[in-house]
Amino acid sequence: MLLEIENLKKVFRSGVRANDGIDLSIDSGEVFGLLGHNGAGKTTLVNQVIGLLKPTDGSIRIDRRDMIADPGLARRLCSFQAQSQVPIDGLTPRQAIELLGQLRGAAGADVRRRRARLVDALDLGEWLDVDAARLSGGVKRLVAFAMAAVAPGRLVMLDEPTNDVDPIRRRLLWQQVRSLADEGAAVLLVTHNVVEAERSVDRLAILDAGHVITEGTPAELKARLGAELRLELVVDPRATELPVSPFGRSAVPVGNRLMVGVPMDAAGPAVGWAESLQRAGAVEEFTLGPATLEDVYVAMVGGLEVRPAEMEESFDASAA
Amino acid sequence: MQALRSYRLLVTWQSLRKKAYLPLMMAVQTLFSLGIVLGYPLLFPTLDRTTIYLIATGAPAISMVSVGLVALPQTVGEAKSEGSLAYMRSLPVPRLAYLVADLTVWLAIVVPGVVLGVLVGAWRFGLDLQVSPLVIPAVVMVALTATCVGYALASVLPYMLTVIITQAIVVFVFMFSPLTFLPDKLPAWLETIHRLLPIQAMGEVTRGTIAPNEFPLPPGAFLTLAVWCVLGFLVTYAAMTRRA
Repeated sequence: MLLEIENLKKVFRSGVRANDGIDLSIDSGEVFGLLGHNGAGKTTLVNQVIGLLKPTDGSIRIDRRDMIADPGLARRLCSFQAQSQVPIDGLTPRQAIELLGQLRGAAGADVRRRRARLVDALDLGEWLDVDAARLSGGVKRLVAFAMAAVAPGRLVMLDEPTNDVDPIRRRLLWQQVRSLADEGAAVLLVTHNVVEAERSVDRLAILDAGHVITEGTPAELKARLGAELRLELVVDPRATELPVSPFGRSAVPVGNRLMVGVPMDAAGPAVGWAESLQRAGAVEEFTLGPATLEDVYVAMVGGLEVRPAEMEESFDASAA
Repeated sequence: MQALRSYRLLVTWQSLRKKAYLPLMMAVQTLFSLGIVLGYPLLFPTLDRTTIYLIATGAPAISMVSVGLVALPQTVGEAKSEGSLAYMRSLPVPRLAYLVADLTVWLAIVVPGVVLGVLVGAWRFGLDLQVSPLVIPAVVMVALTATCVGYALASVLPYMLTVIITQAIVVFVFMFSPLTFLPDKLPAWLETIHRLLPIQAMGEVTRGTIAPNEFPLPPGAFLTLAVWCVLGFLVTYAAMTRRA
């Protein structure tokens, strides 16, 4: 394994236990997703790997070398796209990407060749020589990604790389994330966008309140949920009580929706039950579909705790 | 070699970032100097010779102090609060190279205002300044001390506190610091405070090298600046390399 994190703990002076005994490992060639909602401890973990924060306890190793003892080496081995916007106002994307490549120690000709390839692949050509101060948030985010990818380290860490990016270029971005792994880097992807993560990661861990609450491939996690199908009920907002699932599976309320896990062989009865609820006026509409990683996420993290804005973003992304 | 290469690239990065503000900064600094040089005679229509020289040599000092202790801490504080300083700290470059590169760019921003201030002052009052060659180390030392102390302020304090304190510094520097007047004009307690702070020494080396025939250059002034400069640099460097 390229990155090995063991029993990582970070307790801030305020007493907040942002990471509370995290074990993770990521191999070269792998895209690993770190999911969790705001405050779950994702960015704290990344900041410890890159040496911006010092762990309270535990170990972080890249290629068996101790990154806590040598944060300078950590910065050389990792390239990083931060969640905040990069400070490049005044620079053009061409200048920003090439400067970063050279700062990472790559030769000028290699940097220019790779910059040209990334700009093409992300369809950024029309902004190549425009001052970043005049670029939209989404385009800047793509430039920040190109800065992390132009001379990638052994480990590439991307913190919410698709924020503000339009749906078409999001796809282009995901292809480039995959290319980074195919070229041999380990990619650690931090996101709260579950729908996109399902399509893009090889393995993932869900972080909640500083703990890894589950880890595996998207298929393994869905199998662990034990429900192959998802029945989504849109409940009458005036209803005082939610329908009780007859399937003995998870039923998680999210806003005015109820997500009910349903086994494959119960598809018929599930539709019948939903129709009867609809006729009784308890449910406005319903859909039955395959269970998604989002269902796993919602079931594990708890639907009520997921902030509505995040869920909307996930739904929007799935619609796109 | 690695450090030098990083330094060169970071100077390029930081100057490109600040290039949009450079004309504005120069304009503001020139206005500072103009304001002082042209404004004082309006307040006090009859100025004696010493006062005229104090104003003409104090203007560039104020200009350097205001960039280093006001504009710089506000900019660095903002970079800290919006996360861009953390991004720069995540780059695979020696932190020292980053800090020295940033200080270099700030020094470059300060110098035009200094030169303009002196020229405008000399023209307005028809002065014949016998500028000492020591003016170069003096200007570098004053600007470097101001930027290092300003950087240290922003590194240690939360952003909002930095903004409030720099506002207080503006009033303190303009009204209660011996830059355009001599320290003996101050109440005794403030004179004592100024013997410890670097601002008085900044005024002394500026006027002592721009107008050496008018003002003595106290031997300890450069030393006071050096102490503050090193102190500011060390505090900043410690904050820059610290892992919370």
